[in-house]
Parts: sequence; C-alpha cells; structure tokens
Amino acid sequence: MSHSRRAVITGCGALTPIGNDAAAIWASLSEGRGAVGPITAFDASKLPCRMAGEIKDFAARKHLDNKNEIEKAMGKSLKLMARTIQLGLIAAKYAMLDANLSRGQFDSTRFGVIFGTSLIAIEVDDIVSAAHAALDNPEKRVDLRGWGEKGLETVEPTWMLKYLPNMAACHVSVMFDLQGPSNSITQDDVASLNAMGEAVRHIGRGQADAFLVGGADSKISYLSQARHNLFLRLSRRNDDPGRACRPFDRDHDGMVFGEGATVLVVEELEHAKKRGAKIAAEIVGFASAFDARRDGSGLARAVTQALAEAGIRPDDLDHVNAHGSGVPEQDRIEARGLRLALGPAADRVPVFGAKGYVGNLGPAAGVTELGFSLHALAHGALPPTLNHDHRDTECPIVVHASGLRPIRKPFVMKLGFTDLGQCAAVVIKKWE
Amino acid sequence: MINGRRRVVITGMGAVTPVGHSVAALYDAQIHGRSGIDRIRNFDARKFPTTFAAEVKDFDLSRFLPDASRYRLSGVNTRFALAAAAQALADANGMSAIDRTRFGIYLGNGEGQSEFDQLIAIIGASAFPDRPAVEPSKFFELALERLNPEREYELEMHTTAGHVAEQFELLGPNFSCLTACAASSQAIGEATELIRHGDADLMLAGGAHSMIHPFGVTGFNRLTALSTRNEAPQKASRPFDLNRDGFVLGEGSGMVVLEELEHARRRGAAIYAEIGGYGSTADAYRTTDSPPDGHGAIAAIRWALQDSGLAISDIGYINAHGTSTEVNDRVETLAIKQVFGERARHVPVSSNKSMMGHLIAAAGAVELIISVMTIRRGVIPPTINYETPDPVCDLDYVPNTAREQRVDHVLSNSFGFGGQNVSLIVSRFKE
Repeated sequence: MSHSRRAVITGCGALTPIGNDAAAIWASLSEGRGAVGPITAFDASKLPCRMAGEIKDFAARKHLDNKNEIEKAMGKSLKLMARTIQLGLIAAKYAMLDANLSRGQFDSTRFGVIFGTSLIAIEVDDIVSAAHAALDNPEKRVDLRGWGEKGLETVEPTWMLKYLPNMAACHVSVMFDLQGPSNSITQDDVASLNAMGEAVRHIGRGQADAFLVGGADSKISYLSQARHNLFLRLSRRNDDPGRACRPFDRDHDGMVFGEGATVLVVEELEHAKKRGAKIAAEIVGFASAFDARRDGSGLARAVTQALAEAGIRPDDLDHVNAHGSGVPEQDRIEARGLRLALGPAADRVPVFGAKGYVGNLGPAAGVTELGFSLHALAHGALPPTLNHDHRDTECPIVVHASGLRPIRKPFVMKLGFTDLGQCAAVVIKKWE
Repeated sequence: MINGRRRVVITGMGAVTPVGHSVAALYDAQIHGRSGIDRIRNFDARKFPTTFAAEVKDFDLSRFLPDASRYRLSGVNTRFALAAAAQALADANGMSAIDRTRFGIYLGNGEGQSEFDQLIAIIGASAFPDRPAVEPSKFFELALERLNPEREYELEMHTTAGHVAEQFELLGPNFSCLTACAASSQAIGEATELIRHGDADLMLAGGAHSMIHPFGVTGFNRLTALSTRNEAPQKASRPFDLNRDGFVLGEGSGMVVLEELEHARRRGAAIYAEIGGYGSTADAYRTTDSPPDGHGAIAAIRWALQDSGLAISDIGYINAHGTSTEVNDRVETLAIKQVFGERARHVPVSSNKSMMGHLIAAAGAVELIISVMTIRRGVIPPTINYETPDPVCDLDYVPNTAREQRVDHVLSNSFGFGGQNVSLIVSRFKE
C-alpha cells in the first residue's frame, strides 16, 4: 500500500547566488561559473572568512505583483520576515508558477508545506535601542531592569515572529492557502532533504496529494556571521573566493556560506497526470540515518537504504550529488561512507559537488543542489564540480571535475549530512 | 497489523517539567492540582511586563547521566532532553540487544540560550553614537573576542537530536522540527509514521524547549501573548476561565519510546499505550491568530479520528491545548463542538497548562505522557484556576479537582503559532 502512491517533482522555484531562474542557473552551471565572492552586504573586513555566495540586490517586493491582492498583502507583511523567510516565500511563488498551479485551483486541504530551516539569528540593529536601555546605568553594565523598564518597549511588537523558523512555511501556506500537513524541519544541513522524505511518506500513505517542499537560509547578517565564524571550519582563502570552496580537493580548507532558497512541488503521480503537469522526476528512495562515530558508516547506511527503496544497484546511478562541504574531515567521512556503500562502483559512479558554485546553503542546501541535478537531467549533461583540481587521496571516490558529462542513466542520488552525523539520502529518477 | 499497517505502542516515558523531574512526579502534581508557576529565577525579570513563569527547579543532569559535564555548555533544552531521554530509555527496559540502526529519534525542539549579557554589551559598545545601528567591523571584533564558540554552537537546533542520538546510540532516522507549540506532538506523530512505514522499529520521540530567557519573554510580551497577572502568578494560567489574560511560559522536556508492536512483544516489553491516530494541518490564515471558525483545528482532529478508526463516542477525555489565551481557548472549544457535536458537552476536557504553563515545543509530548497516565490510572487531571465560566467556553473542563474515570482513548491537541495544528489519539493497548 505504501508504495502504490508515487511522488513526483512537478515544479521548481529557486533563488540562488548563481541565478533566480532556470535559464540563469543552468547558464552558470554549464559554463562552470560560480558565484562565491567577497561579502558585499556589509564591511566584513574583520571576519576570518569574508566570503559568501550572496544573492545580490534581492528585494522580495520586486518579486511580488501588486495587482494581485494576496501578493499585495504579502508585500505588506515583508517587514515581519527575516531575509531567510522572504527568500523562502519568493522561491515558493516561482515553484507554483513553474508547476502551473495557482491558489484556489486545487483542494487546499490536500496540499501541504514542509520546509527545512534552522535557527535564524536576529538582526542586531533591531535591538540597539533596547541594548542602550539595558546599559543606561552608572556602571554601564547590562541590567535587565533597564531592559524591562525602558528597553523592551522599543522592540517591535512582532519582532519575534520575524525569526521563528516555522514562519517560512507559515507565510507560504497563507499565500497559497495550503491547509494540508505543515512542518518545519530544523536539522541543519539535512533539513530540506528530510523535508522531502517526509513529504514523500505523507503522499505515499495518502494524507496529502501535493506539497511545497523547500529550504531557505541566509546567514548574511552580522550576528550569524560572527557566530558561525566562531564555531565552524570556514575557508580562509579570502584572497581567492571563487576558488575557496573545494569539495574533495587536496587543498580544501573549510566551507563557505551561501544564501538562497529552493522550493519544489512534490505531487502524487496520478494527481499530476490528471492536471497535465510536466513531470521532471520521481522520488524513488529516501533514508535518514545517524553516523554516531562520524566514520562514514551511518552515511553508508543511508545510501544503502535509499538505493534499496529505489530498487536499484549502485551502478544504476548516473551520478551522486554529494554534500561536499569542502571541510577536509567532512569530505573524507563522506567519501569513505560512499565507498563503503557503493563498493567497486565507487570507481565508476561520478560524484558532483555543488557548493563551489553557491557555497553551503545550510538547511536549503539539499533541495537547492538537488535542483541542480534536475537541470542536469533536463539538459542531458552533468556540470563540473568547481575547484576540484587534485583529489584528496583520503577521498576514495571519483569526482566529475571538468566539462559537461553526458547524462547516461536516469537515477541520481542526493546526499547531505551534518557536523554531528545526521545523514540523509534521496534518490530521484528522471521522468521519461 | 490493522489494515496492513504496523501498530505503534509506547514502551517508555520520561519527563523533566516545572512540576517534577519524573513521569510519576509530573502526574502526581497534575492530579493534585499543584502549580509549578512562580517568580522567574532564570534572570532578573522584575521590571518585565511579566515577572513569572513555570520554571524547572533544582535540575541536575548528573542525576540522570554519568557524564553530564560533557553538556555543561549546552542549552537547557538539550540538557532537559538528555535527562528525559535517559528516563524513557531506562523505563523501556531491556534495550541492550536491539538493533540500534533501527532505532531513531524525532524531536520537536527549540533553540539553546543566547549569551544575553555578552551580546547586549557587544551591541551597546559597537553601536553608532547617533543612530540605532551597529558598526559591523566593531561588532565583529567584539563578538569574535567575547562570545563563546561552544555556547554559540549549542544554540543550533540540530544539536539536541545529535547529542541525544550520540549519547544513547540511536543510529536510525534522525529528525527534529520546530512548529512552535505543535512541535513535539508533530514529532510523535511523524515518528509514528516512520515506524508504520518501516523506516524504523523504534523511535525516541518528544520535545525539549525553554523560552524562559530575556529574549523569549521580551518577544512574547511584545506580542501581548503572556499573562501579566504578576500579583498572583499561580492564578495566572486559567484556561477557559472568563478572566484569562494570556499564557504562562513553561520549560522542560517529555520523551516517549515508540515501538512497533511485534518488536515490543518479541522482547517482552511492558506496553503503556498505543498511538491510535495523528492529524496535521495548517490554518493558512495568519501568523499569530487562529481563524475564528477553527477550520484547521477541526481538520486536524478529524484527521486523527479517521486515522485511528475510532468514533467520537470512543474518546473519553480531551487533553486540550488550552493555553489560557482568549483566542485559543475560544477557538479550541468551538473546534471540539464542531467535531463532537452533541457529545462535546459530555467529554471531559482539561488543560495541563493550568499547572505547568506552556512548554512551547515540548508541550505536546509532556501532555501526551499525562494522557497516557490518565488511561493507566483512571484519574483525569483538572483545569485549575477555573473560577468564572466564559459563555463561549461551555464544555466540561474538569474544573479544579481531578476526576476518577476510566478512559480508553484520549485526544490530545497542540496548535502552533503560525497555524500548525496537530492532534494525536492515544489508546489503551488491546491485543
């Protein structure tokens, strides 16, 4: 019963550092042109890592149509949304357009939303006045009495809502009247792949006919940059940002962040057929596992289980779309796990890493990078992994690193994992 | 199997709450109507609009974990989660031989605690003199020098499920979600589905959260969501009462071990109850308000009923979301009446939040545990502080004193800020 209802991808909307529409994204990918550069949003000169994949000149209101009543109302609510949430909302709009779906033309109660998001750091400018109130005492110490008495009232009434991780899914559900199951998965770099797996299970058991499955993230804010520079291994190659994120390369030295959002329409097959939707791919396998020792064994289990659900062997994969963060330890764990799961096929199945193009989009990375493989399937060519010049000898896999490689097989696996060992694997099959 | 579906039972439970650090203490407080609400001790809240909350008191992780010091820089949500998980796993008993790769985790979990004082000092010191904005290079310099990397890392939401999975060797599916106040009910529902589908045989599921910190109280106070009955904190959480004026923040964690029935039988596990049904919907209405017609809540309850195969007459007790806000209690009452019709007035409905406050992401899991205990013990916890009936809230709220009554099936509701609605049905286990 669980497998009788199949889930297919019928739409994609993406805002990424390499483009905000399919044509621009494919142009960058096919030409091997990445968008990681020096941070331009603010003076980042004091940060150890001063690079990112930014979406320059993003203004959500420019993407909303003022003649459309709902979009006009959403435009008025933009001040309630952190940049992460705005990115998610606009990507959702383009996913619906791409899938040729509009509000009111489907059963709202059978259409859900699952997003991958994570902690959204506050914009510190929002609370400068409150901070002054807390420090307004002879000793200039932080005094919560001052905050409570005079500071708190300077904070916008809706301040907290701007940063709640579930608000991306919430605003999206309001914009399109999606009353089906709603979830916001906060599992860092695997969040949006877990979201996809959960949506497929919902559709499989018949609880919904369609989902917007998305991921959104921006760490381009003062506090987020400071925090992540403190606790993550970020690249120090500030003199050459375009070459900083180097998946599985001998000279990888850490990750680089990117910002963006991707939203996919995931739909039950018969539902999609009935309305004449264009189908890009079927989601045929999903697994989540935990790599407790961070030795690749958990990742290998996720890969093996996802292949088993898809009913395929490793050699049936056209390519593996890897996590490939560019952090040396993580690249090695991933490569070892892949080798463990794929066996000798690891010498034959090419691995693609997308983060050299856009940086790590965190909770949005999984669906965004899977979107790149959808473009590859559509164009019949796998773009090169950027900045993979010399293989790290501790990464026993074959990375596709130059030119466009013809797509030969219909199956693709997308991988993700977190620094703590949470792993996710998704297998898709090109729709033919 | 029912209709070819794998059945999911509860074989272990653990809780850290404002009214006790064990399931037994929690339930005892609930049926005796003991409030856990008092002046805030976590920080100096004397000049905040709300000065009280339901805090977890005298919590000591080393009583639950031998190597508790590993987590001294973790958020309290993570530490509560580890303690509740340790209890639930010990309670599930006889887990040594099980296949850990078939044992996963699904948490409804919040953030850790910001280094508030440091951050405020840094913001103050890096602000431009003439406008409410910080100078980025100054801010970065100070933040990189003064913020603690490990504490900052432990704010991240995936760290809780990561640490718990590592500590207890849970190698299967690993998820966490944050759908505000619905999160841990959603985690239990989705974990149930992972077992039903065969993605796992066991799941540790539940929630952990604390928003009793300066940013949390500031945020909720600005939204005017919290009670400000500062003169009588223990009277402040009064769900369904006419004079309710907002919710009271709580904190803590609740965890259950969910297990596929045959798996539980094979290892001879004691079975507390069965997860009967789960429904999840969205209001698609507004970010903070419930729609006046309660359509999302109604749909979630109906989904859960349909999923369980039960009739409305089977439900013996409704464990309400019952936040003590004007809107929630009115709309939840309406939703119950819409679904249960004539029968609504004959089903006892109560809110555990009247005593332990609102545990936000952890609320649903703790309330489900209370629901299971209600089935086991046959005593329905009251809604305390119910003094003045509200004409629009006209159900049987089990006012002020517990009621002895056999209950076989409980409906537990959780509705989140942002319009996520989750209903769970938990049932007495029958072969």
